[in-house]
Amino acid sequence: MISDQAKKEIDIWVAKYPEGRQSSAVMQALTIVQKENGGSLTNELKQAVADYLEMPTISVEEVATFYENYNHKPVGKHVIRFCHNISCMLNGSDELISYLEEKLDVKTGEISKDRLVSVKRVECLGACVGAPMCQIGDQYYENLTKKRIDEILDGLK
Amino acid sequence: MMVDIEIEIDGKVVHGYPGESLISIADRQGIDIPRFCYHKKLSVAANCRMCLVDIEGNPTPQPACSTLSSAGMKVHTNNEKAKTAQKAVMEFLLINHPLDCPICDQGGECELQDVAMEYGSDISRFTEGKRIVDDKGIGALIQTDMTRCIHCTRCVRFGAEVAGIVEMGATGRGEDLKIEPFLSEGIQSELSGNMIDVCPVGALTSKPFRYEVRSWQMNSIQTIARHDLVGSNIFTQTHKNKVKRVVARDNESINETWISDRDRFSYQGLNSENRVLIPKIKVKGEWKDASWSDALDFATNGIKKNAKEGSQFGTLASKNATLEELFLLQKFTRGLGSDNLDYRLDTSNPFNAKVLESNISLTELETIDHALIVNSYLRLEQPMINHRIRKATLNGASVSTINAKAFNFNYRISQSVLTSPQNTVATLSGVLKALLDKSSQTLPGYLNSVTIDQTHIDIANALSNAKHPVVVLGEHVNGNKCSDQVAQLVANIAKASEAKTLNASLTGNAHSAERVNFKPDNGKNALQILSSDLTAFILFDIYPNFDCIESKNAIEHLSRDDAFVVVMNSFDDESVLSFANVILPIASFYETSGTHINVDNIAQSYSASVKSAGESKPGWKVIKVLADLLNLEGFDFTDSSQIADEALSLSPSFSEIEVPISNSEMPNVATVWQYTPYASDVVVRHASSLQQTRIGQMSEASVCKATAKLLKLSEGDLYNGIPVNINESVAEGCVFVHTHLPRQLGVI
Amino acid sequence: MNNICLKSIDKDNPSSLATYETMGGYKVWRKILNGELSPEKILEELKIAGLRGRGGAGFPTGLKWSFMPRNQEGQKYVVCNSDEGEPGTCHDRDILRFNPHSVIEGMAIAGYVMNATVGYNYIRGEFMEPYYRCEEALKEAYDAGLLGTNIKGSKVCFDLYSHLGAGAYICGEETALLESLEGKKGQPRFKPPFPANVGLYGKPTTINNTESFASVPEILSRGGQWFADLGVPNSGGTKCFSVTGNVKNPSNFEIPMGTPFSDLLKLAGGLRKGRTLKGVIPGGSSTPVIPAAKAMKMTMDYDSIEKAGSMLGAGSVIVMDDTTCMVKALTRLAHFYYDESCGQCTPCREGTGWMYRVLKRIMDGQGKSEDLELLLSVQDKMLGNTICALADGAAMPVESFIRHFREEFEYYIKHGKSMVENDG
Repeated sequence: MISDQAKKEIDIWVAKYPEGRQSSAVMQALTIVQKENGGSLTNELKQAVADYLEMPTISVEEVATFYENYNHKPVGKHVIRFCHNISCMLNGSDELISYLEEKLDVKTGEISKDRLVSVKRVECLGACVGAPMCQIGDQYYENLTKKRIDEILDGLK
Repeated sequence: MMVDIEIEIDGKVVHGYPGESLISIADRQGIDIPRFCYHKKLSVAANCRMCLVDIEGNPTPQPACSTLSSAGMKVHTNNEKAKTAQKAVMEFLLINHPLDCPICDQGGECELQDVAMEYGSDISRFTEGKRIVDDKGIGALIQTDMTRCIHCTRCVRFGAEVAGIVEMGATGRGEDLKIEPFLSEGIQSELSGNMIDVCPVGALTSKPFRYEVRSWQMNSIQTIARHDLVGSNIFTQTHKNKVKRVVARDNESINETWISDRDRFSYQGLNSENRVLIPKIKVKGEWKDASWSDALDFATNGIKKNAKEGSQFGTLASKNATLEELFLLQKFTRGLGSDNLDYRLDTSNPFNAKVLESNISLTELETIDHALIVNSYLRLEQPMINHRIRKATLNGASVSTINAKAFNFNYRISQSVLTSPQNTVATLSGVLKALLDKSSQTLPGYLNSVTIDQTHIDIANALSNAKHPVVVLGEHVNGNKCSDQVAQLVANIAKASEAKTLNASLTGNAHSAERVNFKPDNGKNALQILSSDLTAFILFDIYPNFDCIESKNAIEHLSRDDAFVVVMNSFDDESVLSFANVILPIASFYETSGTHINVDNIAQSYSASVKSAGESKPGWKVIKVLADLLNLEGFDFTDSSQIADEALSLSPSFSEIEVPISNSEMPNVATVWQYTPYASDVVVRHASSLQQTRIGQMSEASVCKATAKLLKLSEGDLYNGIPVNINESVAEGCVFVHTHLPRQLGVI
Repeated sequence: MNNICLKSIDKDNPSSLATYETMGGYKVWRKILNGELSPEKILEELKIAGLRGRGGAGFPTGLKWSFMPRNQEGQKYVVCNSDEGEPGTCHDRDILRFNPHSVIEGMAIAGYVMNATVGYNYIRGEFMEPYYRCEEALKEAYDAGLLGTNIKGSKVCFDLYSHLGAGAYICGEETALLESLEGKKGQPRFKPPFPANVGLYGKPTTINNTESFASVPEILSRGGQWFADLGVPNSGGTKCFSVTGNVKNPSNFEIPMGTPFSDLLKLAGGLRKGRTLKGVIPGGSSTPVIPAAKAMKMTMDYDSIEKAGSMLGAGSVIVMDDTTCMVKALTRLAHFYYDESCGQCTPCREGTGWMYRVLKRIMDGQGKSEDLELLLSVQDKMLGNTICALADGAAMPVESFIRHFREEFEYYIKHGKSMVENDG
């Protein structure tokens, strides 16, 4: 269920915590297996993480459903997480999110027909001086404009 | 010694211990503080915020559950500030609560309802749509209505802290927080029903009780659960002469505030269609309903005719019978001049009970620092005893096991030695030798040839390093041909390590049977009664397919033409019909008064909760009338309490004997046959909801690869009717059967 | 400006060890390793400096460190709260990206002072760029022998690890952060016990914010008094402020405490052309909004902002001009708390959703005349009744927005649309 490569990555995290405290690595373990699974989690993966870290499965489920960054349904290859919180809102994020939805013909929370992109409205991502902004993968995109969004979308494959 | 401190609650000076929570002090003083998440037996969560009180000097109200007292503190539980905070919390709790009290089984006994009466408002200012929670269900015992849940997390904490299996959790966050298990396959803990008791609202209610009757229409009767060695204190709740529900009754030294699922849900068995309701006699091979007087005449005539000598008569009784029944029945048997009587039907070698006593109390079990568990899946056999050991482990105690299989305990096992029945004597001898070696004691002769390995030394070290160790012997020993030697070695190990002992191989009400000496002094024991040429029998609430270790032999033997068998049973049973000559219907659990003696030798008497089913009568009355009809003396009882008084005047009969340890001939492959806890007696076997649980459904013959090869077994084959599961958690040379199905073969 | 935590921001290769060392980095740490600086002396300097926790609560850092039972046997921990998530706040991100070594050195010093040999830097899960920078910096520090066991033969030990979150605002609350670090959901713990006694894995633990740790090396290098003198009484030193919203040049500014708000506004380029100031949220979304007139008179320090009716918080200045619909702004904030409530305490779990729904209804043109009193009542019932301050953070904006901009709310309820022409 969990690939050897993923196990190696998880083990790096496990090594950071005291012996017997491997459950400290659960958030990263979920992140790693989610990434490997194309961006979302399944019950089987959560079970596998629970087994690997010797945790009760429900405890893994609690973590997986508590934190925002886990997806429980399939997502697009790229997830555009668009901040709509106050600093971004004051700088026009709502208008840009509408633009994005229109351009991709996709509602927030949904996947584009080609399954390439899904769009999610999120709360503050901590880059308010660069508002409006969004996150795609590990990358932040700041000071967004319609033009900048066009360029970013063109770069997504 | 703890020093008292003084604090003031609502102007009253009260005493507390330093570090004691305000709510605990208030509870002791009878000062009422509303609460939902707080439960005296669970960790403090402080999340419901209902118990907010005003503490002088604090700008904001503080929860009484998580605030620790300190000298001079002035607390107000019902001034304006406290009341305002409590009412605020109440309003928040109610906005998303469905208020479906008229159709809620918790209605009338709901903590939310009670507190809302005092702190709630009669108008709701919340006009948005209420939350509806979709839930998946959690099995056959607990009904979920999670829309009613107020997220107190008592059930979650119960699972993690008491049951020791983290099954329920709080998933999601914010107002989407949801109390649920990971998958809907059903809660597995043997203590799961306690979640119903701890749930303050109608989110978790009893599934078998669903929509049966309103709580206030029932009578609650104090009684004792009879399935195990603990005798948990319970209330039976009855309506129109039926037990509708069983709930826990607090008794700190026995069951605290918990009961096992077996004790909680077994009452369903009473209402089974399979009860014997009318006396029956067999005339020329045909069963006929009979009046009580005809049936009693038929029985006494048969006994008189078939047992001209007392020695031709034998009596067998269930280990779950009451003290009174057992006492009268032994008096009856001995009055007829017979010493052929026994209750130890599941035992290959009935001497183990004699050599190993229980000398540790339930509360003392919490204070042990090491437990060695031998031949026992204690968690399922004796859930409340296991719970005490689990509590000890939470305080740092370690546990080692010597078992035929690696079982799923709810605490960590530091040392697990897999041992087949045939090797148990050798393993225990190794441990004993290692112990004696450590203290340089002279070895008894039988240990000379014993070889010690590291596992023996590890266990010996754990025992000898412990200050308060205990050795527990469990049910699996009963099937062992050398059970007496195993028990002797356990006693010797305990002596060598100054450990206490707990004999959990005696189950049900066996301590009552031992007290009244319901076993032969010189006569025949159960196996002998069922294999020699006796001609008249009384069987008291026995169902040989399940209860007798050599069931096929037993049934054949009882079916002989020259055997006259009087059966006093509460349930119908095909095999019984095949050999019995007369069936006298007797009252089952909760239908008769009686006494249970538990592992602490505490005798707990109870009265009947409901009238016995149909025409059945309490067993003690039936035995008394039989005795009268046979003109036996000393049966002038008008009340069961008189019987109990006489029985309890006998002192506990434990007498130390020394069983020699020798090399006995053993089979190459031995079988350990264990019933699920929900097949341990006839009442629980008929409790339909328990049968639907994972524990109830268990039926598996576990065997390791090597032994499977030897027996030519493959995965999924049937072994004595039980599906084979090949895994390496079983000792070589044995098959471990865990099932709810009856034994199929005569000898296993 | 930008003299301490953000001082490398304009340098080439700002996050590197080399850059850090040319600015005097690890000087203090090396002094410690040479046995030239005692824990007592460090605590004294921090107290003189008047450094107060930069995460929002403003608790004196030196005092906090002195609560740790440094002589108690057993493991102790130092934890850095880099879970920056308060809307309007993003200066810790820049410290992590551009000056990670200052955080490492600050944490190492803290570990030394409190006799804690292991540290964790809890970085919010979305901060991947800062995380990678921190990881590089950690590698450099280890390679240079500045971290580890018996560092440079000094018998001082300190191991430091980065931990990544996964998206939960509440983990910025220090005990929720500890829960999260232990691999659980981030639900705040009730206190007492405080982390200094029962913290990470049940061991004594001190948690400080990124900026607090990053300030420590410079304070110890130049002296507590030097730092204190940069600021004003009761608000020592400099502080990073994120200025966001309706300003020409939103940015992070590390400026002396006590700087007038009007000067800070100028630094951010002022308002856009033709706009007037309507309100300012001075310390991040959880702090009460201040109307323009009052804001223009306040200075950026604990006492002045408190006098103006709000809090310095995390130093996150959200500027709103006359185009801002205050109903919409508050609804957005209410949604945030509704979304981020951990759900354990009843008033917060139920109250945040209630307030958001009422506001949403007003925005949808379904407002009722009694809604404002209802909102004020609900927020009042949440205030001070929960384990952590998230409920307070959700309540205070509601109270202050309605108090200061009541006519906008009344207009919206009455007309079903915004009073602000350009919006709604």
